[in-house]
Amino acid sequence: MKNHTLWAVVSVLAVSSAAYAERRQNNLAADVAVRHRRLLVKNRFEFAPLFESTINADFRHIIGGGAKLEYHLSDKLSVGAIGVASTAINTKLVDKIRPTLEMSIDNTTREPSQDEFLDRLNTMPFHGAAYVSLTPWYGKLAAFSQAFVAFDFYFQAGLSFAQLTSNCPSSVCSDQFPGMKHPDPNGGELPADGNPNNDPPLNNGSRLGLYLGGGIHVFLNDFLALDMTVRDYAFTDNPSGADFNADLFVSNDDNRFLHHLFFGVGISVMLPTTVKRTP
Amino acid sequence: MNILRMRAHRRSTVFIVALAAMASTALAQSRGKRAPGKAPAAGKAPAPSKSPAPAKGSGGDAGEIEMESDDAKKPGAGSGSNDVNPDEIDMGESDKQGDLSADLNATAQNGNAIKATPIKKTPLSWQDIVVVIRKPFLKVRRTELLPFVGTTMNDNMIRHYTLGGELAYYLTDVLAVGVEGLYYVHSFREPFDLVARQARRLPTINEYNWSAALDFHYVPVYGKFAVLDHRLVTWEAFFTAGIGAGQSQVIPRDTRYPGFTNLLIMPNVGASMRFFLSKWLTVSLGVRDYVFFDHFEPKNRTDVMYATGSEAKAHADGSLINNVMFQIGVSFWVPTTFEYTTFR
Repeated sequence: MKNHTLWAVVSVLAVSSAAYAERRQNNLAADVAVRHRRLLVKNRFEFAPLFESTINADFRHIIGGGAKLEYHLSDKLSVGAIGVASTAINTKLVDKIRPTLEMSIDNTTREPSQDEFLDRLNTMPFHGAAYVSLTPWYGKLAAFSQAFVAFDFYFQAGLSFAQLTSNCPSSVCSDQFPGMKHPDPNGGELPADGNPNNDPPLNNGSRLGLYLGGGIHVFLNDFLALDMTVRDYAFTDNPSGADFNADLFVSNDDNRFLHHLFFGVGISVMLPTTVKRTP
Repeated sequence: MNILRMRAHRRSTVFIVALAAMASTALAQSRGKRAPGKAPAAGKAPAPSKSPAPAKGSGGDAGEIEMESDDAKKPGAGSGSNDVNPDEIDMGESDKQGDLSADLNATAQNGNAIKATPIKKTPLSWQDIVVVIRKPFLKVRRTELLPFVGTTMNDNMIRHYTLGGELAYYLTDVLAVGVEGLYYVHSFREPFDLVARQARRLPTINEYNWSAALDFHYVPVYGKFAVLDHRLVTWEAFFTAGIGAGQSQVIPRDTRYPGFTNLLIMPNVGASMRFFLSKWLTVSLGVRDYVFFDHFEPKNRTDVMYATGSEAKAHADGSLINNVMFQIGVSFWVPTTFEYTTFR
C-alpha cells in the first residue's frame, strides 16, 4: 500500500510539473520576437535602381548605373541579381604618370610611350552578380530625435561576372609573337623581342568570379528604402595590361585574382507596396 | 490491523490531494504573474477601475489606444508595488519624508495663482508612442577611453596602419570633446612596384609618423537592432570634427639623397558607429578623413641640385592630401555605470 501511495504522489507531481513546464515552453515558443514589427522584406520583391563606383581603383575608376532585383524568401533570406553598365575615368595616378612618359614609341628604351601606357588599360563596361543574401540584423533608429526609421544590415555572397575591354590598336600593340621566337622574313628565326610594351594586353573578355557584399537598407516608408552597399567583385584581371610577372612579355600568366571594390547607393522599391506586421 | 491500514490510506489520500492542490495553485499563480493587471490581494488595496482594455486596432496597423487609468499605476494598486523593478525605474526621492506644513503654506501662497481651465483630452494613438525606447546607455559626464587601430582606404601606393588612442569626455549625451593620438607604420601596395617596373617611374610618396588632434563628437543617430531575433544590440552613429598636427616624412626615390620631415596642420572629419556591449564597454568603427597640405620630394635631385634635405625641403612640391582611414576600436567608459534621471 505504501508503495502504491508513493507511486501515486510521484505520478501526480510529475504530471503537474510536466504540464506546467510544457505550458510555459509553449507560451514562449509561440511568441514572436518583436510584436507589431513591420515585415518590410518578407515575401517581397525588391527592385533598386542604383549608382555604383569603384573604391580606390588603381588605374581607372569604374562608374555606372544599373539595377538590383531581389526576392526575399523570408525575413532573413533572399536571392537576387545585380547588373551595372559603367564608364571609366582615369585615376589621379594615371594622370600623374602619363605626362612624364615619352610622347612617341621608342623601343630602345624600357619605358612605355604615353599611348602604350594608356591604350593597354582596360575598362569594365558591364558587370554584375547573382547572389544569396542573408539579413541577420534589423532594427530602428532615431535621427536627431525626430526621424524614426527602420533599417537592416545584410550580407551577400555569390558569383560575379564582368565584361572587360581594352582597345589597343595594332599600331601600338604590334608584337604578334610576344615572348616567342618567330620566323625572320630574311630567313632564320628571331628571338623574342624582350619588350612587353608592344605586346597585346590580354585583359579583355568575359570574366567569372566570386562576389561578396554587405550593406544597409534604411526604410523611408513601407515600400521605399535607401540602399547602400559595398560590393567586391573578385575575378582574374590585369588592369594595366602590362607585364606583371617580369618575364618581359605579356601573357595570361600576368592576370591574377583581384578584388574590385565598389560602393553602391540606390533606392529600393519593395513590391507589393503594402506591408504586413507580426502579431 | 485493517483499521490502521484504512487510516493510513486516508492519510495518504489527503496527502495526495493536498499535494495536487499545491501544485495546481503554484501553476495558477505562476501563470497569473504573466497576465497584465493582476488582481490585487483582498483587503490590500482597491482594485483598478477595470482591467486594461485591448487597444483598438491592436493586431492591426493603427488606431487609438486606451490607456490604463492612473490609479492602476499607483503603488499598491494593480500589480502591486512589489512588482516594480528597481533596475528599470529610478524611484528618485520616494523615501523622502514630506513636510506637510511647508506644503500647506506653499499651497496657500500659490492658491490665488491657480486658475481652473477646462481639461483638454487628447486621444492617444500609436504615433504618440516613442518608437525607440529610453536610451540604454548614457554618456553624459562620462569619459571614453578608446584604443583603436586603423588603415588607409584611399592610397593605392602606400598603406598606413595606425595604432591610436582617444580620450573623450561627454559634456552631454550627444556632444563630446576629446584628444587623440596616432602612431603610423606603413607598407607598400602593388601599384608602387608596378609603376616602377612597368612604367619605369619611381613614385614620390611620403610616410606618416604620428599625429594628434583635438576632436569634437556629435551623436545625432541612435537605434537598436535584433541579431537573428535573439539578441538586441543598441548602437549610435556620430560625426567627428577636429584639428590637430602631425608629421610626415619623405621616402627618397634615390637613397643617396636624404629625405626630410614636415610638420603638418591636420584638420579631420569623420563618421562612426558605436555598438553598446555593456554599461562600460562599446565597440566603435568608422571612417576619418585627415586633410592636410603635405610637401613632397622635388623632382630631378642630383649631386648639385637639392642634394641635402634642407635644400630639398625648401624646393618641395606641395599638395593637398586627404588621408581617409578606417578605424576600429574598443571603448572603456569611466565611470563604469550610470544612473537615469528620468522615467522611461
